[in-house]
Amino acid sequence: MKARSAFSIQKDVIFAIFIREMVTRFSSYTFGNIWLVLEPLLMMILFMFIFGARGRGAYGFVEAPVFIFSAFLTFRLLWNYTMRQNFGARNGTQGLLEYRQVRLFDVFLARSIIEGALFIVVGLIIAVGLVWLGYDPWPDDLLLVLGYCLVLWLFAASFGMLGCMLGSFAREIEKFISMMTMPLMFLSAVFFPMSIVPPQYWKYLTWNPILHAMELIREAWFVRYTSPVADLQYLLAFMLVFMALAMSTYRLSWRRVLAR
Amino acid sequence: MIRFDNVSKYYPTRFGPKYVLRDLNIDIPDDRDVAILGANGAGKSTMLRLLGGIDFPTSGKIKSDRFISWPLALTSGMQGKLTGRENVRFICRIHGVEANRDTEEFVKDFSELGDSFELPLNSYSSGMRSKYSFAVSMGFDFDTYLIDEILSVGDAGFRRKCEAAITNKRANANIILVSHNMDVLKRQCNAAILLAYGRADFYESVDQAIFRYQNL
Repeated sequence: MKARSAFSIQKDVIFAIFIREMVTRFSSYTFGNIWLVLEPLLMMILFMFIFGARGRGAYGFVEAPVFIFSAFLTFRLLWNYTMRQNFGARNGTQGLLEYRQVRLFDVFLARSIIEGALFIVVGLIIAVGLVWLGYDPWPDDLLLVLGYCLVLWLFAASFGMLGCMLGSFAREIEKFISMMTMPLMFLSAVFFPMSIVPPQYWKYLTWNPILHAMELIREAWFVRYTSPVADLQYLLAFMLVFMALAMSTYRLSWRRVLAR
Repeated sequence: MIRFDNVSKYYPTRFGPKYVLRDLNIDIPDDRDVAILGANGAGKSTMLRLLGGIDFPTSGKIKSDRFISWPLALTSGMQGKLTGRENVRFICRIHGVEANRDTEEFVKDFSELGDSFELPLNSYSSGMRSKYSFAVSMGFDFDTYLIDEILSVGDAGFRRKCEAAITNKRANANIILVSHNMDVLKRQCNAAILLAYGRADFYESVDQAIFRYQNL
């Protein structure tokens, strides 16, 4: 054994967990890692079909498939998967924590990085598919979209981390979070832009920080869309508060969580 | 030197804190192979977990400047979905071992698994699994090995091989051994820690500690 710096240990550990997760996630499926792309793709095709069949989804500024692509990709892959993977970080990783250099935080980091990377890779693959079909899926302001995605990603990771830490003290949190997933999809302006929602409901819906993320990303993605409600400061404040909460909860209780 | 400095450890239960170790002050010298003795529930495994850095004292400190292995028990730290080779590779990665190919081949040879080495751990029988765990732990160079009851695994031939490997390691490392097999302890150790009545005593002689242990 040779002595390594703390940074290089962490780097090694995160890389090792990264590979391990990628190998085990779909190893029991026949198609293996193809499911990484196939799963969101199937869901998206399903939604495109439903919207297409109803003749909805085109809100004047973009074709339906591209609209669904932009919203579904960010909500599902970036928010939902990152949050869930961080939230479930204690499942199936007990064996990892038998090594002193592996901490729960490394699992959080590795899983967040995996989800962030998957978001980009899967997005690229589906975008290429859409180009092939004759659509124009590329964001009008790519950098701004990526910037907002980064904020949403950090928010999702912090939220999941906090949920995981609290959930190890009270498992009820688990039920609460799985209950909220479905309604959240409808409350976050995923399948409609806020411009079609009557203004008297804006003040209720805009409590939800994810809605702001969705609207901001949409605004940057489609230059012809201007959101009536999007507020970056609100989203940033939420992200920072949740991140601070998650970090301090981790810092205060990781030893107790480890002992469970 | 591994030093326990006023180490206490309790687990919260609904009857209040349950102390496993209380105010331990022990030095484990680098050149001693230590047997840990104690009745069930006396805190042997807890002590190994504390030494392995995967559990923490409620108060006090453990100081050490050595590379200490993870607590080598039968099923610890393995992922059943991964193959034997992939598990070894994972452990190489987290320990910063770059020559992982050599380690993999060593484990494959030592464990006598043959082609099963390329199959997921879930498909192993318990005998294969214990051989595999032991081979993995011998594949890495630590200063101190924490060994929890894995010397009494496998068939007689393999057990001899294990003891030979341990003896070999003892030339430039020391071991801390938990076992209920007194013969193994006598052969492999030259010091002992007896855990009893919430206290721990360091014995220079294994025989003396075993005598005390058997007359608790």
